[in-house]
Amino acid sequence: MKQIRRVAIANRGEVAVRIIRACEELGIETVLLHSDADIQTRAYRLATKTICIGPATTALSYLNIEANINGALAAGADAVHPGFGFLSENADFAEQCEKAGLIFIGPSSDAIRKLGDKVSFKNLAKKANLPLIPGYEGENQSVDVLLTEVEKIGLPVIVKAAAGGGGRGMKLIRVMADAKDLIESAQREAKSAFGSSTVFLEKYLEQAKHIEFQIFADSTGHVVHLFDRECSVQRRHQKIIEEATSPSLTDDLRRRMGEVACTIAALGKYKSAGTVEFLLQDGQFYLLEVNTRLQVEHPVTEEVLGIDLVKMQILTAQGSFVFDSKDVRIPRGHSIECRVYAENPYLGGVPSTGKLGLVQWPEGPRRRYEYGFESGDTITSHYDPMIAKVIVWDENRPRAIQKMIRTLKDSTVFGVDTNIPYLIEILNHPEFQSGKMTTRFIETYFAEALKAPAEDAQIKKWAQQIYKNLKSGGATVASSVNESISPWSSFWRGV
Amino acid sequence: MKQNMNLKIDGVEKNILAEVIDKKIWFKLNGEVYSYDLVELSQSSHAQSKIKSKSPDKIMSPMPGKMTKVFVKEGQAVVKGDPLIVMEAMKMEYTLKSDIDSTVEKVLVEVGQQVSLGHLLVQLKAEVKK
Repeated sequence: MKQIRRVAIANRGEVAVRIIRACEELGIETVLLHSDADIQTRAYRLATKTICIGPATTALSYLNIEANINGALAAGADAVHPGFGFLSENADFAEQCEKAGLIFIGPSSDAIRKLGDKVSFKNLAKKANLPLIPGYEGENQSVDVLLTEVEKIGLPVIVKAAAGGGGRGMKLIRVMADAKDLIESAQREAKSAFGSSTVFLEKYLEQAKHIEFQIFADSTGHVVHLFDRECSVQRRHQKIIEEATSPSLTDDLRRRMGEVACTIAALGKYKSAGTVEFLLQDGQFYLLEVNTRLQVEHPVTEEVLGIDLVKMQILTAQGSFVFDSKDVRIPRGHSIECRVYAENPYLGGVPSTGKLGLVQWPEGPRRRYEYGFESGDTITSHYDPMIAKVIVWDENRPRAIQKMIRTLKDSTVFGVDTNIPYLIEILNHPEFQSGKMTTRFIETYFAEALKAPAEDAQIKKWAQQIYKNLKSGGATVASSVNESISPWSSFWRGV
Repeated sequence: MKQNMNLKIDGVEKNILAEVIDKKIWFKLNGEVYSYDLVELSQSSHAQSKIKSKSPDKIMSPMPGKMTKVFVKEGQAVVKGDPLIVMEAMKMEYTLKSDIDSTVEKVLVEVGQQVSLGHLLVQLKAEVKK
């Protein structure tokens, strides 16, 4: 066991903040390895130390292995937390950390290669006779070969980045005529997001649910699953709303899928937190992939189990976390996470950039906010446009949905457009409320941009009044709002 | 600066939280966030300028981003649904397609170019039915 004293964070945004907090609660110092575009962010303000490792371009900063390792070493860190995205699933990065004497907070580079690389993962699963979806994961990446394979598998076929996750570099081929363009586009996106243009193909299941299992292997390598999450609400293969646990698993399915998840993790000699993703259709489940890292949606699992996955990761990395066999984990209630993006829902989700004005997240029991930007910070076009993750917990799913709707309505973001109206529409949709939604939910019901509310003459009147009021120097201004406005005011107003 | 003001319209009095950021007024009313351009509010309502072009022969950038692929050349005929441009913003690709059968009159951008919101990318000329 080696006590970790200073953790370098090779990430940004809300996950960097999440890691800083977990470290501080464990008495560990933090060093934020950031790009020069991320100085005015919350993580920068909260970290014990900060080191600029490069310019805004991700290839030169957040995806630059050498710069991250040099930064970590220069700051005297003894461990590195990669967060999610960027280098978190890069086996070379984990290996370089190991070589440089830095503890990589996550699985070993070997486990990342075995399970994170989708080709090797599939071979492993095949050997163990675990259920897989038909597809192509060959080394020959010429477009012609890929086209032939698409025909062999049979449309619809999905193209994915071999090194990726989270929807980047993913394309759906429905007609052969589009296949060439889509494959090339997927290769380009894969190259720019993950540094490798390798893609693979897979049969697309039309009516499947996306179910994933949180797995965790302690310092001794003992693997358990920490139950499931439902992530069927996806747009362009990017999750928008996630829940724990899934409303559609029977006890039997949950038990069988959980066993498969633990089996594959054990085969890869896994350590730390990871996620095994499945597709579920007509009572049949198929292994999709393993994400060898912490997941964006990890908070919903934490909420239903009352655990802290990031702290567990850090303690496991220093060799001091071992599951207690007497400890029975049973999920309680229901948790939902919504990703609040800076985008215009009335223009089909076009990203919105700009300086954040007033930002308010309403307090209240079991409402949780993970965010990397505050009032005065700027949402730039360099990175992911996520402003915050809003997480709620309640006794059951219908109550959690109602709490989420109320929470989103009470949240205020000025300065950039947000997808909050879009999220509320989804939460109110009968199919979402029934829990029966599949991964095609968004393209079926929300394919078009949200219909903009008709220009309301009344609203415009208010806008003109406000304008006049401001222009007249605020003669009728009631009071200037204090910077530290109490979030409770909006909470009570919402009751 | 954010301000909290009491306003009255048609006998209804409300306390509204408003803020001016980058030439826009942001405010929250009945649980919804609204934003209005200051320019739009300063003009009389019937002389409003529409920033967004709705004409299908002008392909404008729907967001700030980078051109990754330009599919068409000047003089080329395109049919409705043909991809014209692929652009990238925040690491996601967006394909801009033609809404009309037309001829490409002008291509005003090249691959790698960074553009802002509303930038004219491609000018089409609608086909005249003979």
